[in-house]
Parts: sequence; C-alpha cells; structure tokens
Amino acid sequence: MNYIIDGLFQAIQLLIHGDGETYSAVYATIRVSAYSMTVSLLIGIPAGFLMGHHDFLWKKQIRTITDTMMSLPTVLVGLLVYAFLTNRGPLGEYGLLFSLEGIAIGQAILALPIVIALTASAIESMDEKLRVTLVSLGASRRQVLFSTLWEARYGILAASMNAFGRVLTEVGIAMMVGGNIKWHTRTITTAIALETNKGEFVTGVALGLVLMAIAFIVNFSLSFLRNRS
Amino acid sequence: MNKSAYHLTGVKKFYNRHTSVDIEDLLIPQSSITGLVGPNGSGKSTLLNMLAFIDRPSEGTILFKDHKAEPFSDTVRFRVSLLAQEPYLLKRSVYENIVYGLKLRGGDSSLYPKQINEALALVGLSPREFSNRPWYGLSGGESQRVALAARLVLKPEVLLLDEPTASVDADSAGRIMDCALMASKEWGTTLVIASHDWKWLHEICGNVLQMFKGKIVGNGMENIIFGPWKLGESGLYREKTLEDGQIVKVPEPPSSESAAVILQSFITLSSHEPALKHDEHALKGVIAQISLEPAINAIMVSIRTGNQTFTLRIPQEKARETALFPGQSVYIAYPLSAVTWY
Repeated sequence: MNYIIDGLFQAIQLLIHGDGETYSAVYATIRVSAYSMTVSLLIGIPAGFLMGHHDFLWKKQIRTITDTMMSLPTVLVGLLVYAFLTNRGPLGEYGLLFSLEGIAIGQAILALPIVIALTASAIESMDEKLRVTLVSLGASRRQVLFSTLWEARYGILAASMNAFGRVLTEVGIAMMVGGNIKWHTRTITTAIALETNKGEFVTGVALGLVLMAIAFIVNFSLSFLRNRS
Repeated sequence: MNKSAYHLTGVKKFYNRHTSVDIEDLLIPQSSITGLVGPNGSGKSTLLNMLAFIDRPSEGTILFKDHKAEPFSDTVRFRVSLLAQEPYLLKRSVYENIVYGLKLRGGDSSLYPKQINEALALVGLSPREFSNRPWYGLSGGESQRVALAARLVLKPEVLLLDEPTASVDADSAGRIMDCALMASKEWGTTLVIASHDWKWLHEICGNVLQMFKGKIVGNGMENIIFGPWKLGESGLYREKTLEDGQIVKVPEPPSSESAAVILQSFITLSSHEPALKHDEHALKGVIAQISLEPAINAIMVSIRTGNQTFTLRIPQEKARETALFPGQSVYIAYPLSAVTWY
C-alpha cells in the first residue's frame, strides 16, 4: 500500500521539480492524443451523422462492422499499422514508423469507430420532431444538419470523451508503432509499462497518477463547457 | 374572388404501399380558416406535413399561391409554419427557441428582444419569468405555448396547427385558440387546424374537411360507423349491433370492414318514435351535447346511441320549436340509400 502513497508524493515531486523525462512523456501523450482525436473527430462526426441520419444500401452491415470495430484490440491495430509503416510496407517511404505521427495514425484508427458509432447513435436517438420543427421554422438543409448536430452535442461529446479515454490509455499501438523511444516516442502508458518491467513501481504509479490527472482535467473542462451551454 | 393559398391536385402519399393521403382536388383560400377532422390515422397529420412542405407528396402537385413549391424551396421556407401536436423544443432557453426562426430570416437583431417579449406576452407567458428558462423547465402547456410563440414571432402567411390543444391544460388551450384567431384577424394568416374538437372547429372555421382513410369525405358533419358488418336476418341488409343492443342497418358494403358514412343532412330527429318509410331505419338515443354554430345560426346536436355518436345540425328555429335539451331521449332515422362507403 505504501508504494501507492509514495507514488502520489513522487508524482507531485516529478511535476513540481520539472522532471524532464516525465514532461517529455506527458508532452508526447498530449501531442499524439491531440493529433488522433482531431483526425477521428473531423472524419468521425460527419460520418456518424451520415450513418445516423440517412438510409443507404448496406447501412446495417456497415453499422455492424463499425460497432464491432469499437472493440478493436490495440495490439492488432499496432501490428497492422506497423506492417503498413515499416520500410517494407506500402507506406514505408514516409518514415512514420517510430514517430509520434505513426502512433497518432494507429490511435485515430482506434478512436474512429467509437466516434462514428456513438455519434450515429446520438443522431438516431434524436426525435423525428426535431427535423419537423427545424423545417417548419424555416431552416435550410444545411441549417437542419448543423442544428441537428448542435442538438445532439451531448451525445457527440460523450462519444468524444469515450474515444479520448481509449486513446489516452492505450499502450499497444504506442509501444509497437512508437517503439517507446526515450525523449522521442515514449508516452505515459509506455513509460508505465517500462517502469513496471524494471520493478520501479513507485515511478509507474506516479506516471499513472499524472495520466489520471490529464484525463480529469480534460473531462472536467468538457463538463464545465457542457454545463455552461 | 378569393385567391388560393393552396391548390392540391391528385395528391397522394404512400407509406409502405399504404395510401395515407389521397386527395383529388382541394383549394384552400388565402386568409381562410380551414378545419380538418377525422379519426386517428385518417391522414390529417400527413396532409399537414405536406402543406408545411416538410414531406413531399408521392404523386400529384401542391401549388402554393399559384406556384409549384417543394420542401426547402425559398418560395415557402419563410412563409409557412407548422405547430405539431407535441412540439419539440430545441435544447436551449425559451429565448433561444423563439429567436431561432428570426435568426434564420436575418433582419435587425436589435429588435429581437422586443419581438420575443411580444410573442411571449401573446401566448400569456411573462417574458421576465420565462425568457431565460431552459427547455426542461417548462410544463407541457408552457412548452406548447413557447412553440406557438416561436411561430407567431415569424408572422407566417400560413400557420398549420396539428391538434394544438390535444395535450394541454384548459388555460393553455384557450390561449392557443385565441392566438390562432388573432393571427388570422390581425395578419391575415391562413390557418389550417387539425383537431378532434369539432365543436370549436365548426365555431371558427369557414370550411371544415372530414378526412377518412386519407380522403376528404365531406365537411365534418358526416357520421362514420366502422365495421365489421354481418348479414342481417332477412339477408337483405348488413347490420352491426351496438353496445346497448340496438342494430344499425346498412345496405351491402364493399367489404365487411368498410366504414359507413351517413351525411347529417339525411338524418331526421324526433322526440317520439317515427313512422318509417320502407328503406328507413331508426335508432333510439340520448342527446349528449348541444352547441351553437353562430356563423350559420344553427345548433349542433350530438346523440349518443350505444357506443356510437351521431351528430346533426338543425336550424336554430327548429331547435327552439322542439325544445331540445341534453339528456332527452330522442329518435334518429335515416334512409339506407343515404349510406355511402369508404
């Protein structure tokens, strides 16, 4: 039990004393999370809207595949992305293996089905009366689209937070695609895995608490914005 | 001659191969008040959705002020508004709900607060108390009033009301009715109102349309008797037994599930058992309701016979002579040849 309490104190010390290695991992984590979330939200929200709002051929089948992909194993994504980014792979020439961008690609693949499926569910759960109301107040097609997205904002926010939680805490992709390179691609989760392997439980717990703090700050900020709106 | 707000020709709407609306020809004059009555599923809401250009017809054309119009077209988008039975309020404050339509139309935003206060006052809600309330802080009647205020603030040329008073308290219902009439009188708004409150509709509407199975079957004064029909003892007629044991006789229907329609003008009312002609049939009933139709100096009388209500309109003079009163036992008679089928 003591090492957990020690971990808490060490986490505070690491952050207060500006431990470079810790800050490097925090910075890498925030960067890859930001990249992957930006991509997955930019693609996932419109795709989720289309899937939730429109009927098209093979919709049910695509929906089933998307729902299934919500539980993609991170090591499988890591393996596939590795295979594509390695020198012998189809995208090897871009030199993305063992880079933060490479990790972000893998994490975006992980987050995308979550954003699409949960956004689609949020849109589907909207009352048909919303469309009737918007049209009867004079909204154009584009205004119906944006107003519907705004009305579904809490559902979309939940989708984003869910995806962010998955991205922030995954370790398989960061380890396999990033290579856990110190000062470069080492994220908080890969650092925790390394420290645990080394038997440095206190440092591992300290980094885990930092990770929790990041998650808390992001969720708290979003909840604050939600309550204000 | 009064110009038409709508002209519908050969309009049909299908849902899963089922015909929801089938209207050959319908003219709705500008600045008129038109009522729609009919049982649930008769196509009233589907027709209103098409008149609001929310849905397009599967067949046929709808002309709006002599121009063909489509959903989202600029010719109708800012001119027609629909208030649904259970309105949806946007997940915003009352103010934001009402200002939504105004913002879509542009205009001087400095006038918005004044316009919204006026609209709220019209529907009987205090602007100070309600303006900043969130959508979830309203009762059903208040929500309906806010939804109506969001339409009234736009001063639409056509206001379509779908069962506007069906699920609200009496105070809200009265206020909604008054506001609709105010829009008609003050701004010349064309009103089309679907309601089960036929008494109110006959009181305010220049024209009441009775809908049944998607078709317009008359002016709201028709008595509809649903099947199933079984062969009578004589084998000449079909019949249906009412709850009180009385039998409704009808000629051969197209199918045993068809609905019989008897125009009120064919029904005669008497306080004693009538002497029947050879193809007439009589039923005994009790006067359930008497109401005045001031526009045409007539009295509407509802007569309860078993589980069936018959409605007929009689001139005020005759009503005075016969001294009708609610609770009175009466007889109604109709010729079987007057029965039509849907």
